[in-house]
Amino acid sequence: MNMFLHELKAYRKSTIIWAFSLVAILVLFMSMFPGLTRDAADFKKLLEGYPEGVRKAFGISLESITSLLGFYSYVFAYILLCGSIQAMNLGISILSKESREKTADFLLTKPVKRNQVVTAKLSAALTSLIITNGIYLAAAVIIAMAVSTKPFDIQTFTLISLTAFWVECMFLALGVLVSAVVTRIKSVLPLSLSTVFGFYVLNMFGAVIGEKAIRYLTPFKYYDTAYIIKHSSYETSYIIIEIIVIAGAIAASYMIYAKKDIHAV
Amino acid sequence: MNVIELKNLTKTYGKARGITNISFNVEEGEIFGFIGPNGAGKSTTIRTMLSLIYPTSGSAMIFGKDSVKYGPEIKKEIGYLPSEVFYYDNMKVKELLKYSASFYKKDCSKRITQLAEMLDLDLNKRIDDLSFGNKKKVGIVQGLLHEPKLIILDEPTSGLDPLMQQKFFELLKEENKKGTTILFSSHILSEVQKLCDRVAIIKEGELVNVEKISTLKENNHKRFKLESQTQVPHDYFKIKGVQNLEVNNHITSFLYSGNINMILQKLAQLELYNLWIEEPDLEEIFMHYYEKEN
Repeated sequence: MNMFLHELKAYRKSTIIWAFSLVAILVLFMSMFPGLTRDAADFKKLLEGYPEGVRKAFGISLESITSLLGFYSYVFAYILLCGSIQAMNLGISILSKESREKTADFLLTKPVKRNQVVTAKLSAALTSLIITNGIYLAAAVIIAMAVSTKPFDIQTFTLISLTAFWVECMFLALGVLVSAVVTRIKSVLPLSLSTVFGFYVLNMFGAVIGEKAIRYLTPFKYYDTAYIIKHSSYETSYIIIEIIVIAGAIAASYMIYAKKDIHAV
Repeated sequence: MNVIELKNLTKTYGKARGITNISFNVEEGEIFGFIGPNGAGKSTTIRTMLSLIYPTSGSAMIFGKDSVKYGPEIKKEIGYLPSEVFYYDNMKVKELLKYSASFYKKDCSKRITQLAEMLDLDLNKRIDDLSFGNKKKVGIVQGLLHEPKLIILDEPTSGLDPLMQQKFFELLKEENKKGTTILFSSHILSEVQKLCDRVAIIKEGELVNVEKISTLKENNHKRFKLESQTQVPHDYFKIKGVQNLEVNNHITSFLYSGNINMILQKLAQLELYNLWIEEPDLEEIFMHYYEKEN
């Protein structure tokens, strides 16, 4: 418990900054929505002018872009991207931070098992993500209500918003695995940015060529907003894959970290 | 009872570095020196004992228990001070020590204040504002606050001023009087000489010798220095027992251990201006352990 609280305290600042940044991005985008609905026809015409490939890559759907959920799911892609970076950052930091800041000696000469260290750090990172998403979701609902003139389905809205958390969980697990495997990570941000953007580009690419198989490869495609809007639920097969991926990555991280040599610096 | 028992402890990294077949015991209540030049494998041995790294073969038993299998249990009674101390920067000294204490199921607050007072450490400062020496003090308090039965120190004195070193040694001696076993790793002999009962010498990953400090001193080495009329030929003193021979114009110096009459006969044949025969310090005796074999 002491380690968990210590870690949580260490993430306090970054959690708050991330949460408010996400809300700020959302406010910025959603403030355009009232204007957009007023000139819906013109806006659609403008979008029609873009090549189809570009529209697909950015996830713009002409039929729904002027509805609140449609517009939100377009904007949400960027929120998802930012959230994923946060999660990947957290994941990579939690174990590599100790060896980079040379505190691994401090922690691992205390009477604790390596597994306990991983558990405490993982729970703290997860808690940080839950807090970020909690603040975001609350703010998002309020903002949506403020800008929408027509009523919208709150449940679907929440389901879409929560996909950020599910995708983040995958990136967190992936990040932890990376930090358990790689001996020395000099700086976290370039690594997490490149990984997340890599998956994001893959996602855009998949959308353009319409290849279904790519959906399995990038976490960004696991939760298709169009499907959620239509069915008000997630696709079960992807939930199962996600659980398997996360469980595998976390289990591997535990095993690798328990056997890892902690070298002097 | 042996507090530390190393049996053929081996750790290899790739090809070059590491330690090979290190075996020695440290008895309860002993202050045991662990000495060798930089890169000899002192830290590797210590880190293996603490299961920060895992042995390739052989074993380390602490308090009679395998250091890998019973790691967390053993560490309840170990205080460790790494050679380089870096702690979570965004914390105050007090917070860090409390965090450290929270891992042991006892109340250490009194002990923290006591140690901090002794070492003249300000508990309310932030760790990133501390000088290297003061960070080291945080390390010392951190290693001792739970009153461990075994203290492992990896080059602990670097960064401490002589006065603080003195205080630190007194502190260690006091702990030792209470029955605490201490493993003291260093590359500075005079420190070890001052403090330790026995010493293990390690060189290039292999154990060279384990000896009592007193035996080492008794080893009847003498330092000879002579000033001669003409330069002494280089091979003149090539006899058994002569080490570290240096010929510098008319000044010749060397270490000698063995029959004193032999060397005196040799000396008698030279035309000398001056002669000094001195007791060498441990440093010199050890030098030949340190020097890499050709």
